[in-house]
Amino acid sequence: MTTTAREPRQAPLGAATPLLSVDRLSVRFLLGRGGRRGEVRAVTDASFDLRPGQLLTLVGESGCGKSVLASALLGLLPGNAQLRGTATLSTQDGGRVELLSAPESVLAGRVRGRLVGLVPQSSATHLTPVRTARSQLLEAVRALRPGLDDPAGLVDHLAERVGLEPAVLDRYPHELSGGTAQRVAVALALAGDPPVVLADEPTTGLDRPLVDRTVDLLAGLAEEGRAVLMITHDLAAARGVATDVAVMYASRLVEIGPAGRVFDDPWHPYTAGLLAALPEGGFTPIPGHPPELTALPDGCAFAPRCALLGARDERCTGRPELVRHDDRMVACRRPC
Amino acid sequence: MADLVTSSTEDSSVPSAGGPTAPAAWRSAARRRAGTPRASIGSGRAARLRWIVGAATLAALAVGAVLLPWLGGLDERVLDYAAVRRPPGPDHLFGTDETGRDLLLLAFAGLRVSLLVAVLCAVVSTMLGAVVGAVSGAVGGWTDRLLMRLVDTVNAVPHLLLGIVIVALYRGSLTAVVASIALTHWTTVARIVRSEVLSLRQRPYIDAAISGGASRWRVVRRHLLPAVVPQAAISAVLLLPHAVWHETALSFLGLGLPPHMASIGNILGDGRDAVLLGAWWIVVLPSVLLIVATLAVSGVAATWRDRLVPRRRSELAL
Amino acid sequence: MLTGAGLVAGYTRGHPVLSGVDVEVRPGEVLGMAGPSGCGKSTLARVLTLLLAPWAGEVRLDGAPVRRFRHAAPREQRTAVGVVFQQPRLSVDPRFTLREVVAEPMLASGRAGDVADRVDELADQVGLTAELLRRRPHEVSDGQLQRACLARALSLRPRYLVCDEMTAMLDASTTAALVRVVNAHVESTGAGVLAISHDDSLLGVWADRVMRLAP
Repeated sequence: MTTTAREPRQAPLGAATPLLSVDRLSVRFLLGRGGRRGEVRAVTDASFDLRPGQLLTLVGESGCGKSVLASALLGLLPGNAQLRGTATLSTQDGGRVELLSAPESVLAGRVRGRLVGLVPQSSATHLTPVRTARSQLLEAVRALRPGLDDPAGLVDHLAERVGLEPAVLDRYPHELSGGTAQRVAVALALAGDPPVVLADEPTTGLDRPLVDRTVDLLAGLAEEGRAVLMITHDLAAARGVATDVAVMYASRLVEIGPAGRVFDDPWHPYTAGLLAALPEGGFTPIPGHPPELTALPDGCAFAPRCALLGARDERCTGRPELVRHDDRMVACRRPC
Repeated sequence: MADLVTSSTEDSSVPSAGGPTAPAAWRSAARRRAGTPRASIGSGRAARLRWIVGAATLAALAVGAVLLPWLGGLDERVLDYAAVRRPPGPDHLFGTDETGRDLLLLAFAGLRVSLLVAVLCAVVSTMLGAVVGAVSGAVGGWTDRLLMRLVDTVNAVPHLLLGIVIVALYRGSLTAVVASIALTHWTTVARIVRSEVLSLRQRPYIDAAISGGASRWRVVRRHLLPAVVPQAAISAVLLLPHAVWHETALSFLGLGLPPHMASIGNILGDGRDAVLLGAWWIVVLPSVLLIVATLAVSGVAATWRDRLVPRRRSELAL
Repeated sequence: MLTGAGLVAGYTRGHPVLSGVDVEVRPGEVLGMAGPSGCGKSTLARVLTLLLAPWAGEVRLDGAPVRRFRHAAPREQRTAVGVVFQQPRLSVDPRFTLREVVAEPMLASGRAGDVADRVDELADQVGLTAELLRRRPHEVSDGQLQRACLARALSLRPRYLVCDEMTAMLDASTTAALVRVVNAHVESTGAGVLAISHDDSLLGVWADRVMRLAP
């Protein structure tokens, strides 16, 4: 017996140690007082590593649990959530922070903004409406880097880094277009120079050119040597820029691997189904609906919709675990 | 790949090769966020206690108010000039008043009258406010501006003063008291309902309903009114204690209910001279009953409001 | 034919979002509409679905000029154009079950005969199970909710359908499934569709003709 999910994996830039190492992270929500009305299994046994230079894209349809994963990593789960597993963040000085059990003071004082930057889903609502972009950036820089000689200079540098005109910084959030607001949000996420950047659906509501510019920006952060985790339902957006891709279905990761190889030759039938549903991939929907997170089946959650094997196939009665095969992992029992 | 050996990580109580440090048990994700109170209002032990105590007190008072007059043929109207201004004792738990009436029975009868008047006032003013607010929000334009200035005007005049003017015009009747309270207390409900309707009107589902052929009235009936009913109902209940005190104040001033209706205000008004003669209980005990009753109503209403406030569903949106 | 000629519309006086747009949605055809954010695509959708009165210009529905909008528009004209919005969560009354959501236009427009059968038929068309129809919006996913919204839009068999960024929040599989439902409706009824999207590759496979709106 061997669990393969934790073996070291070749990072694109050859970096050795992962910055963020998630090990069998599970999140559930108890419904009703003390879970009397059942539970929602939002994330089940998610394991992955995030290394410098990687842009890992977590894809999956709405309701599969991918945003909960992000909230768990930032310690932003609501009170009725329970979790298990670990998520270890390595700091530059060689220390480690376990994100899931760290107290709020550690998360607020050391992690958020400093070690992990967040690019939020709707940047327009993420910004304070009553202050200019510049004053918000300046406040973030002052708070996150107290000893800095020239905070205003860093703000200009950050703006330049994300491709913002200096004049735009003196506008209020409602005067910014969706794409510009997203850039301000990225600049804010970079204010504390975090080695890890977490982007939760950063492209929602943006049109295609702005989506492309936003994901290019995130790819640029990865090229600088940061580790970027991008959560999205937009496969097309992920396709161009991701170095690695993780596919989530019904609370579990079903396939992880280098983006090029996964997109060219998907192993899991769900990944293949998603790619075949893209306009350029044949535009064929996957039949059926995903299972409810309140009533996940014991066996393979995808079996009822699987194009390769029927639900009654003997080999699909047990639940397939995520197993390693070269540099890829897949949770499927179909014969290769 | 089919021949790869796999292991189950579901049962993580068995340490596996992958992560011997992985904890087995579920643990709460709850963390105190900076700047937020430890327990949110409406949940937790305090709110539960408030609900239980409030509901139990209210139930006891209701039973008392309804049943006491019929128990053993007791009548609060019985005068006993042999026992005037008796202090609280075994015969008369709350003592007796100027005319020898039993104060316990009298106070409960008064409470019953006060609560009935309050319910009437709350219902009337909530309906009035809901109609004004809904019309104001749904029609908009000049109608809205006019109605909202009316609300401002009513709010600008002290409520008790306005109430006194109304009862002074139609003195000493139940209708006058109800009108004086309802006409001064509908403005809050009107504002709440108006802002609710205004925000609902912008929702795409109203557009979808119009596109589906719904008439104006159907949009109001199917979408807008059901959405404001919980808010309006809560306002009505939160108005109850307010109305009780308002009625008491009017009656105390001699402007409220006719003297033969034993509201708490009337008892206090009748009893204020007796205090100077040392009969403190005539004022204090009915007042205590009134305070307990209004606190119980507020407690229950507040818990109800907190429960009905929409939970932050977005946090659960996966 | 659903046409708009010289449409000028907006929300704040003096700041038109649309200025002089001509558009022609032909029966049996999917007209794609692309353009950057803020170019007025959604405003155009609201004008063509008679939900927003234009400041200038004319909307014609099968030749008849539309003179009044929103509630003031004749019911026959309003219900001739179905609409699906971008955000399913905001497009349904949170108190309704999905069955009530789909049935509401039939009840509201007085075409109440055999509502239950028609709802089942529509649910089958868009891929909703009877179990899902019993739930309320917060108990289903965005994709399932958008299926209900599409079923609602199709319930009165509209001669035109406006899909305003219908698939922007959806995953690839649900997108493909819903587009197929729309196309099936076009084929069976000869309806005309205005498909608004910022996704060029989607419009490439969906639309017969693509129109670009300048910012």
